[in-house]
Amino acid sequence: MRMQCLDTKFFTSSTSLAPIQLPSRMETHLWYVIPNEVKSEQLLNKYLEFLPKSEKERVFSMRGDELQKGALLARALVRTTIARYQTNQVSPRSLKFRKNIHGKPEVDWQQIEDWHPQQLHFNISHTESLVACGVTTHNPIGIDIEEKERKIKHSISSFAKRYFSQQEVQLLSSISDPEIQRQEFIKLWTLKEAYVKALGRGFSGSPFKTFTIRSVAASKEGIHLSESSSSENSDIVVESLEDSANHTGDWRFALLELAGSHYAAICSKNHPMKMSVWRTIPLVEDEYVSGTDSVIAVGGLM
Amino acid sequence: MASSTIAASSISFTSLTLNNKGLAKNSVSLSINGKSFPSLRLQAASRRFRVSCAAKPETVDKVCEIVRKQLAIQPDVAVTGDSKFAALGADSLDTVEIVMGLEEEFGISVEEESAQTIATVQDAADLIENLVEKKGSA
Repeated sequence: MRMQCLDTKFFTSSTSLAPIQLPSRMETHLWYVIPNEVKSEQLLNKYLEFLPKSEKERVFSMRGDELQKGALLARALVRTTIARYQTNQVSPRSLKFRKNIHGKPEVDWQQIEDWHPQQLHFNISHTESLVACGVTTHNPIGIDIEEKERKIKHSISSFAKRYFSQQEVQLLSSISDPEIQRQEFIKLWTLKEAYVKALGRGFSGSPFKTFTIRSVAASKEGIHLSESSSSENSDIVVESLEDSANHTGDWRFALLELAGSHYAAICSKNHPMKMSVWRTIPLVEDEYVSGTDSVIAVGGLM
Repeated sequence: MASSTIAASSISFTSLTLNNKGLAKNSVSLSINGKSFPSLRLQAASRRFRVSCAAKPETVDKVCEIVRKQLAIQPDVAVTGDSKFAALGADSLDTVEIVMGLEEEFGISVEEESAQTIATVQDAADLIENLVEKKGSA
């Protein structure tokens, strides 16, 4: 595809980012970019212009072109997406970010004049082949994505015994097929990562061993254990093994197969979790993909 | 980290004075042989207590090898003691696999708390030597 037509397309849209509506209290939005779909050097340079010096430096400190591109896309995605949710026209460049007390990135609303602070929460995750950003209002969100085909070099059981809770270890070791075991391990890892990121306390603040995530069958009468761990009519819940007053009952999870290539775990307090997913190329196009093959629910969704 | 490097071979340290007057907290001005250098900011020691001597080059090389394999690093990308895991594209799962690989290679056991403090290849190598030494003297 020649660059000319692409240039015209994005030059007209680059001056005004198409606005988007904030998710309601019950909704969760998920935006993702496929790096392989972003080939234009000019477009990447436009993204670079959105970043302040410190973020540019961090992008260039990544060792390798693909890693730099991924880092750039992650920042461009979060900046353009948050800018589009604003009711007033805002440039992605003007956004300021800071880290909360535990190190979780958040928007620093105070730095911008004339802004009405929003109860907007976001979280990013990316692999070499996908960059994703989850957005909610009123409640924190954590997301984690992982390539479905990711190979684990160590034995799953030694990994699990070291990092997972006893119940999770039991669940994994009961799976005899090594390929299914690997898949379930990755799904569980993304769920646990998403929870830790939602809490915002970092890997060391919420050690994986201190909580259990499992599927329960969602039923009107009450919650009971389901036989299959990946039933569409299941809820995914978390239980703290340390502190029973931890209010873990508030958290909800969704587990998806995204773009045919990734597992995506989303954790928030929205219940039920109504998800809307878009594949996007910032400044170029959005495609609403919920209900298509690009978004397959594995568990926890309505 | 010091922002200026001092080539030891070209300066003799016959008089070394540290002067903290009128400077921001955690910074000193360094004057060597009467020449003054821009103030060096002392990094606050994080929870870990850093051992002063660096690990042997062989240990660093071994760590680089394990990291290269785990992260499938392109041959044209350099991996050295200074290399940060995050900059090499390591996510939390990679970091855990790297730690497990190092444990197997060196016959050590790394506590979670220590594993969290590893940010560079050098950090990993230093930690390994520390643990190997402790194991040897136990």
